Amino acid sequence: MSGRGGRSETRWAAAILAGFAVLALVPLAAPRDDVLNFLLVILLSITLAESWNIVAGYAGQVNLGHAAFFGIGALVARTLWIDGTPIAAATAAGALLATLSALVIGVAAFRLRGAYFAIGTLALGEISRTTVGNVLAEISTLPTATISTYRLTHRYYVALGLAAVSVAVVAALARSRLGLGMEAVREDEEAAEASGVGALRLKLTALALSAALAGLAGGLFAYYHISYYPSHPFSPHWTFDAVLMTFIGGVGTLHGPVLGAVLYVVLKEYLAVRWVDFHLLIFGALFVAIVLVLPGGLVQAAARLRGAWRR
Amino acid sequence: MPLLEVERVSKAFGGVRAVSDVSVSLEEGELLGIMGPNGSGKTTLFNCIAGALSPDEGRIRLDGHDITGLSPHRICALGIARTFQLVRPFGGLAALDNVLVGRLFGRRRHDGGAHVEAERLLALVGLEGRAAVPAAQLTLIDRKRLDLARALATGPRLLLLDEFLAGLNPAETETAMALIRRLLAGGTTILMIEHIVWALADLSRRLVVLSAGEKIAEGPPAAVAADPAVVDVYLGTPRAGRGRA
Ligand SMILES: Nc1ncnc2c1ncn2[C@@H]1O[C@H](COP(=O)(O)OP(=O)(O)OP(=O)(O)O)[C@@H](O)[C@H]1O
Ligand SMILES: [Mg+2]
Repeated sequence: MSGRGGRSETRWAAAILAGFAVLALVPLAAPRDDVLNFLLVILLSITLAESWNIVAGYAGQVNLGHAAFFGIGALVARTLWIDGTPIAAATAAGALLATLSALVIGVAAFRLRGAYFAIGTLALGEISRTTVGNVLAEISTLPTATISTYRLTHRYYVALGLAAVSVAVVAALARSRLGLGMEAVREDEEAAEASGVGALRLKLTALALSAALAGLAGGLFAYYHISYYPSHPFSPHWTFDAVLMTFIGGVGTLHGPVLGAVLYVVLKEYLAVRWVDFHLLIFGALFVAIVLVLPGGLVQAAARLRGAWRR
Repeated sequence: MPLLEVERVSKAFGGVRAVSDVSVSLEEGELLGIMGPNGSGKTTLFNCIAGALSPDEGRIRLDGHDITGLSPHRICALGIARTFQLVRPFGGLAALDNVLVGRLFGRRRHDGGAHVEAERLLALVGLEGRAAVPAAQLTLIDRKRLDLARALATGPRLLLLDEFLAGLNPAETETAMALIRRLLAGGTTILMIEHIVWALADLSRRLVVLSAGEKIAEGPPAAVAADPAVVDVYLGTPRAGRGRA
């Protein structure tokens, strides 16, 4: 519906979904655990990055407590699943609770603007992590019966489906009236209000949508990992991964976070092997460089190159 | 019944009485000009009407309905649109998308043809052919035009123009004034802040003059220009806080 990008967004969505269709063949062609694990991490990262992109890239609200929604999704899904609820229902319940908490948190946190919102959400995320860490200090391990029937391929297809849903959701948003309103709020909240945009409602919608996808990703995490500390998915590094991937690729675009996630995971794997502890430092420096030199990430770099080529 | 009634509105920032006990009323289809030195409270009054600020005292009614303190987007949907003294287009969005925001969000009812209508408004303000250009890349004048097109897209009954003519060259001023006359002829009611006295005198039958937050004169342009209080404010000894002599 929006005049800009609408068609190019659709083309990118088609290209990415076609790529996912190819990835669906991997378990048949190369059923190797290391390959599937690696691709699964990329797909999970795409979902996390796109979900963060909705609230930060489209609605312009830099939420640094994103991990809390991922964590809530994981916590609820894991608990219900181990108690005997089917994983699909357990994940849906986790995503629902993540969405509801987003609405509650949003009503309070959206009283803050800009950097204050970022700091406020960072604090809320940390509070959730410490609370979960204190209340549930024990490691969570799947029952032996579940482990004996564990199929990596199932997790892989769930990750693929979730990444596809995230891309489809953002593509639909980018073309919609709702997405246009969010972008108006991002550009200038006061001017958006003066043009009839109910900014608070749109910001809450963006946060809820973002949290729903992050909650689903949390469900995947709970389904995928055999054992982990319940506070682990609440760790801020999930937020910062999503931030980095989105910025590297291009914040507020459909394909940016996908490119960023692929590059980030591949690079991280490579750097972690070569440089062990230095990769965090390298990513930190990369992030600063991008924000300073190329705030639009890879997508902007590509556009500039194309422009220079034509000239 | 007047379309807009501002009744004894006051707004202070800390110790500064930016608007003090101001009443203004506007008939449907009228253009009322507001003038006054820098810092006399003109923009603050606009902000109170548009809902960006909530007045400390007084009532604001649109068509007899109290709209005091409603949020800006509700007031916009009720039919009041504005432009900003310092233009505020959505810089990262294409010109057409800027107008579509007004069109798709600023009205209570939705009808089709948003794209066509947005294109028509771009052409009306003189931005044909620029639909795909990001607003941030437009010249200042074009961004002003875009601000206006976005406001018009909300289908306003009352349009608030805050120094729309400032910074335009004589030819652009003529074009803009012709556009304002067309809007008036089309039935839009306009409240217009302007420093360019001859333009206001030309467009309006009635002027209001603010000084230090208070309404010091109201009436036909010629009478206002001859009013000793106005002459004193504009030509008299400059007092502290009055930028323009
Ligand atoms: N948000 C604000 N916070 C604090 N003071 C403000 C604010 N907005 C306006 N003021 C003060 O209120 C007074 C009136 O300002 P206002 O912008 O309404 O004047 P104006 O008549 O529009 O002036 P100009 O011709 O320069 O645009 C000034 O003293 C200004 O400094
Ligand atoms: Mg002003």
